Amino acid sequence: MVAIDRAPAKPRRRYRNLWRQTPQSFRIGLIILLLHLILAVTGPFWAPYGFSQMGTGIPLSGMTWKHPFGVDQLGRDVFSRVVHGAHIVILLSLSGTALGLVVGAILGLLSGYIGGWFDNALQRLLEALISIPFLVLALIAIASAGPQLSGNPILVVAVVALVYAPRIARMARAAAIDIATRDYVTMARLRGESAWSVMRRELLPNATSVLLVEFALRAGYAPVLIGSLGFLGFGLRPPTPEWGLMISENRALIIITPITVLGPGLALASLVVGLNLFTEGLARILGRTVRLGNQ
Amino acid sequence: MTPDTVLEVRSLSVAYRQGAGWSRAVDDVSFALKKGEVFGLVGESGCGKSTVSLQLLGYRHPSLRAEGGAVLFKDQNLLKLARPELDKLRGEKIAFVPQNPTTALNPGIRIGRQVAETMVAHGRAKDLGGADAVVGKYLKLVGLPVDPAFLRRYPHQLSGGQQQRVCIAMALCCDPDLLVLDEPTTGLDVTTQEQIVSLLIALRARIGLAMLYVTHDLALLSQIADRIGVMYAGKMVEVAETEVIFNAPKHPYTRGLIGSIPRIDFDSAERERPLRGLLRRQELPPGCPFSPRCDFALERCFTEPQKAEPTGPESSVACWRWREIVPLPPEPIVIPPLPEAKGELPLLTVDKLDIHYGSAGKVFRAVNDVSFAIRQGEVFALVGESGSGKSTIARAISGLVPPAAGTVTLEGKALAPRVNRRSAAQRRLIQYIFQNPDASLNPRARVGETIARPLHYFFRLDRSKAAERVAAALADVQLDGSYAARFPDQLSGGERQRVAIARALAAEPALLLCDEILSALDVSVQANILKLLQALKAEHAIAMLFISHDLAVVRMLADHVCVLYGGEVMEIGPVDRIFAAPFHPYTHTLLQAVPVPLQPPPASDGLNAGEPQRGGQGCVFAGRCPWQIGDICETTRPPWRAGEGGLRLRCHHTIEALNELADWPPLTETSRATRTRHENRVD
Repeated sequence: MVAIDRAPAKPRRRYRNLWRQTPQSFRIGLIILLLHLILAVTGPFWAPYGFSQMGTGIPLSGMTWKHPFGVDQLGRDVFSRVVHGAHIVILLSLSGTALGLVVGAILGLLSGYIGGWFDNALQRLLEALISIPFLVLALIAIASAGPQLSGNPILVVAVVALVYAPRIARMARAAAIDIATRDYVTMARLRGESAWSVMRRELLPNATSVLLVEFALRAGYAPVLIGSLGFLGFGLRPPTPEWGLMISENRALIIITPITVLGPGLALASLVVGLNLFTEGLARILGRTVRLGNQ
Repeated sequence: MTPDTVLEVRSLSVAYRQGAGWSRAVDDVSFALKKGEVFGLVGESGCGKSTVSLQLLGYRHPSLRAEGGAVLFKDQNLLKLARPELDKLRGEKIAFVPQNPTTALNPGIRIGRQVAETMVAHGRAKDLGGADAVVGKYLKLVGLPVDPAFLRRYPHQLSGGQQQRVCIAMALCCDPDLLVLDEPTTGLDVTTQEQIVSLLIALRARIGLAMLYVTHDLALLSQIADRIGVMYAGKMVEVAETEVIFNAPKHPYTRGLIGSIPRIDFDSAERERPLRGLLRRQELPPGCPFSPRCDFALERCFTEPQKAEPTGPESSVACWRWREIVPLPPEPIVIPPLPEAKGELPLLTVDKLDIHYGSAGKVFRAVNDVSFAIRQGEVFALVGESGSGKSTIARAISGLVPPAAGTVTLEGKALAPRVNRRSAAQRRLIQYIFQNPDASLNPRARVGETIARPLHYFFRLDRSKAAERVAAALADVQLDGSYAARFPDQLSGGERQRVAIARALAAEPALLLCDEILSALDVSVQANILKLLQALKAEHAIAMLFISHDLAVVRMLADHVCVLYGGEVMEIGPVDRIFAAPFHPYTHTLLQAVPVPLQPPPASDGLNAGEPQRGGQGCVFAGRCPWQIGDICETTRPPWRAGEGGLRLRCHHTIEALNELADWPPLTETSRATRTRHENRVD
């Protein structure tokens, strides 16, 4: 084949080319995510009021320039609370999903590779967990953890992981069954490698694109799950400025000042939309090239 | 365009989309096909031969564009033709036979209906139901049974050879003027290939249609083609009559290609020097694309593009030095002496091995009563068609498939049936090399990590020691140490197979199980790996179980050969006894089917295909055997017979009778020059 010569691009231009080649959804999602991250990191320094500061204005006075998201019934500025709470949702959803990914990936890959009764037993268990609606499952877990743990952020992380791990494990298992038929896995088996070693060296590196997409997808719904827990009162405790909790606190007065519910709701929605667009773009990129860059 | 020209390709250039740009896959290719002529297109993978063949059908795709030239069929340029008109031509006037019939046939449609579809599309039949009678005519033409039950079969109920026959029938059913065949026999067994080629030759004599035959197998082309075009890196480097290509090749690449063919007739004295190096598409010089690998290249070759120069009325060569170059003396072939048998004990013995697949209700006997022994440092070859159980035996030796009965003994100790019950030392001593190097290397691990893994695992070496040994292992397979940092997708197929061999060698095995390790590679790469294996055999004295369907390669490399059919041993013995009379009937059939350059294929109706008679009372080869005695073959298991030099074979014929029946090797003095062409000619 005759290759048409192309001058090697300068690094600057190469990055610009790379950016242009990414799908539009990826770019939009990335911008939304970056805005959220900036808000989470810098928010506490420039928020006009503290997150539990009362008497910032007339309660339930609605949307004004001073209080873009209004003032709640205790006289707290909702906008400041949204800004202060930005890092909580991001932190909890990412760490919860990450924990779920680690547990789910290990279980799924091992189960797909080993097969047999181990695979059968584990899959039935995971199917049972998946068949329970996720909010119900979360509530069972929180209830069984006992009252002394309720409102603990670690419990929220664990619940997110518990909900996601079985779903991620199923994806990982499917990938492992496919990869396990390749000859390099047979080579490892002939060498006598343990299942753990095969998983770590042969299966995991070849399942990363599947797992990465799965992670981003689950992380996109985690804020909704955490928000729902907060809304139902099983998440974090007041006065934590968690968005779901704020929606729940203000929902009784939604007819008088809808903006106090709409504000945190919009923040939550934009984070979920951003994460989803990002995931969709990422999946398309990974579908196109297995290994990013490095070519 | 002369009146008897069917199709003419004029300076065709085709490019594929690659990232943001386009890269040329075919560059300025011209040739013409006359009525009733078979034109062969040959070259290594990636040379653009399939791209050219698809352009003959006016193939279009968003990531492919014709950048210049024309494909003229009856004064119409297929590259410019509107889609509806093209559709009328394709299938009716120009037909295509694909490489892989299994994926070309729709698995959900009965074969009779699939053939009829083409006829209905071109108005040869009114509806699918009414076409049956006509379909039968074409199935008969390609040697398939015509009974209605056969028409109602689905593709998966046919063998590979029958599927390819259906594809050919589909191509022929509108009486085309031109047949384009893209590697039609590459996926098939050698005996099936012989039947398909005989069929094509017979068809051509009867119908007289022009064919473009695309293949990588030059020996095969010599049996069927009138003229051959040799392609390299998208350019046509030489076009000439078949006998000229073989007897007086002009382009250095053609010479190398002919020199690289493993010859089963073993006239190694007059061998050309095989090709060296690899086609590197990214580093082609502006001049002749072959110059980096050419033994005759001068300064001018690297800078000046080569134009096709006519060498005769219908032949040309793209090399400005073609008049002056003379054949180089062939490289002496070192046949390493068989290492002295160390000790009396064989390295590996396989004793009365039975392997079954499936559960108790429906058992498939893949391997039945197979016994052999491999001595230290010898190459033991298992040959047979697909389904003969050769890979299954290797998998049983490696411990992947537990045998139903029988034992495998390594160095005097019986091996556990499953690999996870064997000791680390036993696992280390037997190393497997797979057929397809794309699948046997972890795509996410660097070559260095892949080779270092057995070192870490078996020898507990630290990083620096392992790195040294990796470099040594790479040097063993003639790769540079810098390869350690690369990923498999940055290597060519041949380089990947070398890495797989290096990984196996790193474990310091006593026995290598080589499962068809050459069959996924190009002929010039095959020649290089073959040389490498010969060198390894001489240096390391590692025993190899060499599984192959390629008898020529087996003859070059093996010390002992075991011929399998239907999971049973037909013949076993030293290599020079296997390739000389007496032959087992099956060995004889196999040898006859191998295409030898410029030898006519054996006269056959191409119809004696059959399935092995597994688990029956008689011989597994009964029913397909050309020398069958009679009922005794069907009812009684044949006895073992001993020949000279340790040869043993299983047949009802006596050794003396088999000696008389043998008709191989073909006599070379009648083979010269034009015999094939005259035999194949339409008149």
